[in-house]
Amino acid sequence: MPVELKQVSHRYQEQGDGSTVALDNINFTIEDGELLALIGHTGSGKSTLAQHLNGLLKPSSGEVLIDGKDINNPENKKELRFQVGLVFQYPEYQLFEETVKKDIAFGPKNMGLSEEEIETRVLKAMEIVGLDPEKTGEKSPFELSGGQMRRVALAGILAMKPRFLVLDEPTAGLDPRARKFLLQDIKRLHEEGTTIIMISHSMDDVAELATRVAVMQKGRLVKSGTPKEIFSHNEFLKELGLDVPQASELCFELQNSGLNIKDCYMLDDIADEIERIIKEGGEKHGA
Amino acid sequence: MVRDITIGQYYAVDSPVHRLDPRAKILLTIAYIVAVFMVKNLLAYLPIVAFLLFVSNKSRIPIKMLLRGIKPIRILLLFTFVLNMFFGAGERVLFEIGSVQIKYEGLMNAVHFTSRLVLLVMGTSILTLTTPPVVLTDGLETLTSPLKKIGFPSHEMAMMMTIALRFIPTLIEEADKIMKAQTARGADFSSGNLRQRAKAMVPLLVPLFISAFRRAGDLAMAMESRCYHGGEGRTRLHVLKFKKADMYAALSFAVLFALIIIVQKIPILL
Repeated sequence: MPVELKQVSHRYQEQGDGSTVALDNINFTIEDGELLALIGHTGSGKSTLAQHLNGLLKPSSGEVLIDGKDINNPENKKELRFQVGLVFQYPEYQLFEETVKKDIAFGPKNMGLSEEEIETRVLKAMEIVGLDPEKTGEKSPFELSGGQMRRVALAGILAMKPRFLVLDEPTAGLDPRARKFLLQDIKRLHEEGTTIIMISHSMDDVAELATRVAVMQKGRLVKSGTPKEIFSHNEFLKELGLDVPQASELCFELQNSGLNIKDCYMLDDIADEIERIIKEGGEKHGA
Repeated sequence: MVRDITIGQYYAVDSPVHRLDPRAKILLTIAYIVAVFMVKNLLAYLPIVAFLLFVSNKSRIPIKMLLRGIKPIRILLLFTFVLNMFFGAGERVLFEIGSVQIKYEGLMNAVHFTSRLVLLVMGTSILTLTTPPVVLTDGLETLTSPLKKIGFPSHEMAMMMTIALRFIPTLIEEADKIMKAQTARGADFSSGNLRQRAKAMVPLLVPLFISAFRRAGDLAMAMESRCYHGGEGRTRLHVLKFKKADMYAALSFAVLFALIIIVQKIPILL
C-alpha cells in the first residue's frame, strides 16, 4: 500500500503573528516500488514535504496516510515512523557513537530488536553500502572520509529496514567517485524493492534513476510525470529556474541545429542516437 | 520560555535611545542601578517609574515588552515578597495568623525589595533591547580598554562575546536539525525518567559539540586568512563618538538623581 498525502498544508510560525506557507494543499500518492524524484528550487518545500512523510513535521491541515493509516495518530506513530527511513541532508553530521557498528545499531536498538537481529541487520546494512565490517566496523566514525561517513549514516537508516526510503539530497558535497558509489547503492536498493523518494538538485542523477519526477514550486506540486515527460519540457523547467539534464540540453541544441534526433534525457540514449546519425551520415557519404 | 527572556534581546526600531553611544548606555545603566539602590523610601521609586515611562516612550519600546522581562523571575519575586513579609523584623504587628505575625516593617520591606528587583530588571533590559549585541560588545571593549595596562584582555573578551552571540542562532538551528535526524532513527527525547532523558541527550550533544568545534576551527582559519592577529593596531570601521544626545541622556540622569534625593528628604512614610 502506498503513501498518501491528502490536502497537506504546512505553515511555519514566524515571530509575531505572521506565518509562511511552506506547503500548500498537496495531494499526492507515492506508489510501492517507485523511485520518485522531488525537484524544485531552494525553498520550494521539498525538505518540508520529506519531513512530513515520517511525521517529524505535522501538517497544519490535511493528513499523511501510510497503508491508509494516519501517521500522526499517536497510536501508529512509532510503528509507522520506522517504516519510513529519512536520510537528511549531510547525514554524516548526526553520527555520534564510538564505533561505526554501534552507530548503525542505534536505529534498530530504538526499535527494540534482539541483539542477534541487530547484529545481522548491521552487517547486512554495511554490506549494502559497501563498507567492510572487518576493516571499518570497529573504527570511530570520525576517522572516516566524508564519503564513507555518509555511507555509515545511510547504513544507520537501512538497518531499520524501512519500506520507504526518503533521501534529502544524498549526493550533495560528495566527490565524483563517492557520488557514483552512492547512486549505485540507491539504484540497487530500488531494484531490490525499496520504494525511494529522492530530493535532488542534480538533474542528471534524476534522469538516470527516477521512475517518476515531481516538480515543486513555492510549496505547490506543479507537475509530475515520467522523466521523459518532465525533461522534454525544457522551457518549463528553465522558467522555474531549474536545470535540465546535460543530455537533454545537448539533444535540444542538436535538434535546433537541424539534426533529426529523437528526444532523450539520458547520456547513454543520446550516445546511441549520435552514433546512429554518424553511421547514417557515413553511409550517405559512402553512397 | 526562551522567548520570554527580554534581557539579551534586541528590539529593532529606530529611536534616539537606540542611537545613543553604547558606552553612554552602559555607563548610564550602571548609574541607573546605583539610583535604584539609593532608594530608601518607597515614595522615591516614583521618579524612577516616571523615568522608565519616559525612556520607554523615547525608545519606542512598549512597556508591555519591558514587563515581559519580569515573567522569568516571577518565582524569585514571589519568594522575595513572601519571605520578607513573614520573616521581616519589626515592632508594629499588623495582624496575626496563629503563630505567624505580619509586621508593618516586614510588609514594607517586602514591597521595597520586590519593587527594587522589578525596576532593576525592567531598566537594565532597556540596554540590550536598544543596542544590537555587536555594538554593545564594541562599547564594552572601548570602556574596558584602559584596563589593558594591567593585563585585562578587553579586545579578546569583546571578540569572544561577539562570536558567541553570533553563533547562538546557528547552534539552535543545528540542534533542531540533529534532533530531528535522531528522532527519525527512533530516538526519544521527551519521555522516560530523568536518567533516561539525560542519556537520550548523548546522540544530540555529541554531534552538536563536534559541529561547534568544526565551526570554531573553520572560523579561526577564516579569520587568520584575513590577517586577524588580535586587537593590537586594529582600527575600527565605526569609531565611537559621544554626541549631543549622549549629553542630554546624562543630563536626564542628573535630573533623576536630584529628584530621588529630594523625594527622600520629604519626611513621610517610614
